[in-house]
Amino acid sequence: MRIELKQVVPFVLKDRLLHKTSNVWNTNLTLLPGEYIKIQAPSGTGKTTLLNTLYSIRKDYTGTILMDEKSLPEISVDELSKMRQNKLSVVFQNLRLFPNLLAFENIELKRLLSPNYCSKEKIEWMAEELGITQLLQQKTGTCSFGEQQRIAILRALVQPFKWLMMDEPFSHLDDSNIAKAVALIDSECKAQKAGLIIADLEADNHFIYTHQYFL
Amino acid sequence: MNQLNRLLHKLIHNSAGQARFVMALVGLSVAIVLLLMAVQLQVNYYQLLNGKNNQDSVANFLVLNKELTNETVGASSLSEKEIANIKAQPFFESVGSLTPSRFKASIQSNSERFPFYTDIAFESVPAEFIDINNKDWQWDETSAFLPIIVPNQFLDFYNFQFSFSQNLPQLTPQVVKMVVFKVTIQGNGTPYEMKGRVVGLSNRISSMMVPQNFMDWANKYFAPKDGNNKPSRVVVRTKDPGNPELKKYLQSNGLITDAEKTRFSRYRQIVGYVVNISAITGVLLLAFALLIFTLFIQLTIASCKDEIQLLVVLGASPKQLRVFLMKRFFPPNIIIVFIAFIAIGIGQFFLGNWLAQKQIFIGSFPSFYTLFTALLLLLVIAIVNFKTITNYLNQQATTN
Repeated sequence: MRIELKQVVPFVLKDRLLHKTSNVWNTNLTLLPGEYIKIQAPSGTGKTTLLNTLYSIRKDYTGTILMDEKSLPEISVDELSKMRQNKLSVVFQNLRLFPNLLAFENIELKRLLSPNYCSKEKIEWMAEELGITQLLQQKTGTCSFGEQQRIAILRALVQPFKWLMMDEPFSHLDDSNIAKAVALIDSECKAQKAGLIIADLEADNHFIYTHQYFL
Repeated sequence: MNQLNRLLHKLIHNSAGQARFVMALVGLSVAIVLLLMAVQLQVNYYQLLNGKNNQDSVANFLVLNKELTNETVGASSLSEKEIANIKAQPFFESVGSLTPSRFKASIQSNSERFPFYTDIAFESVPAEFIDINNKDWQWDETSAFLPIIVPNQFLDFYNFQFSFSQNLPQLTPQVVKMVVFKVTIQGNGTPYEMKGRVVGLSNRISSMMVPQNFMDWANKYFAPKDGNNKPSRVVVRTKDPGNPELKKYLQSNGLITDAEKTRFSRYRQIVGYVVNISAITGVLLLAFALLIFTLFIQLTIASCKDEIQLLVVLGASPKQLRVFLMKRFFPPNIIIVFIAFIAIGIGQFFLGNWLAQKQIFIGSFPSFYTLFTALLLLLVIAIVNFKTITNYLNQQATTN
């Protein structure tokens, strides 16, 4: 799925963008299928705004965003649900897990929304890879933020997707856990021939990025 | 899908409280029972007014005759034109002529122990105006006895006045129906004897009634040839004896009827008002109960706002959630409408049996209209639920 941004400026950044230039905002940018994109920017420059806008959670911007040549506001609520089930997957900065559900239930819920894609066995295998098997029967509200980050990553991987968007996904993980997560994410993206958009504060070499953009 | 529903159930929990949900359902149940009851009562009431099986249960039969004044005395018979005029009035459903016997008649006891003799006169009316359903109510020239319907007042008069004055035993209706007596009619100089028997007691027409075909036969053979053949009285069936137009018509045509019977119309109207009030109360209660139920759905959705928003963000479609919420809120309504209908059915069954003992006949099962109303109510509830869920879900789904 091809994503095109044309002169996109979020309302909240309008004034700030009058004084500085950006690789993403107020310019034309095309993200091609299967590309690994790194968005690097300090706090407050709109990383989360960008991912939320691409994921259609925020609609407060000027300019045009096209997904496979269809403008985002033209996509109906039902189509958007289908896209979120089959084409777009996301790891939010604030993770957005259901605290009262078990870790396994959080993942299972996502799996059941896109049925017939990922088996329970695969979830168990991926949980093993990420080192969270022992957390599966624990309420996510009682897990540490680092543990929750890994649960959220796993949740994002149990659905079919063409783009995986991640907002500071490894902020609370140690290097060893980052390496495990990166390996799993990379293999899943490759397997699904999907693109990856990671927004983060610092430069990194976790993946071989096709492009790196600065906000 | 069941697993998904289980998880959704866990998320969209009843934070508005199980007790409130039950209260909302109880309110709705009461409203539904009241409404169905009102419909069923209307049907029963209509059946009582218009059914042909009921023994004079309401005063909707009137006997009309000309008011006897100095002008009308001796000329009280009703002409064909006058009868046609009565038939043409919209408030009379049917009109039947009362045929008087135009021959002499007497009845006499066959028993030595219980001797009586009296001269008597009969009247007859078409069978549809008779309120006694009795297989004995038929006569032809080969019949063993003449069936007679006696007004209840006659028996009362006998039991509470005549028997005391003559030192005779009191008689129950059952005994009266068992007594076979001798009926003698004579005209044209020839007496004719036959056996007679009381087959029923009635409040509708205060005459000794005999079958129409007997009257036709007897008048033909025993009445003077030059006599007046015109009827003096007619019996009419009307939906509302208290109708002011009916009273006006009677007055302007110099006709009178049993004023006591028109008094029933007041009671009937009161019953009508009560039934209507119960229907209005039912509708109002239903409106309130639906409002409470709607608020309950809103409250549930509002209290699970964050969960619903996150579910939509994760890819649950509003349609999926709508189906889930409908499945959650609607089935209890099916159950309560079903229970209400069954309750009405049981009530109707017992009411029907109880009234049957009193010779008042209504159906033993709920009417088609009641069933239709129940289904209609279910549809209304479904639409209200669906609209509420859709509106509030869309509100939540679009505000991420």
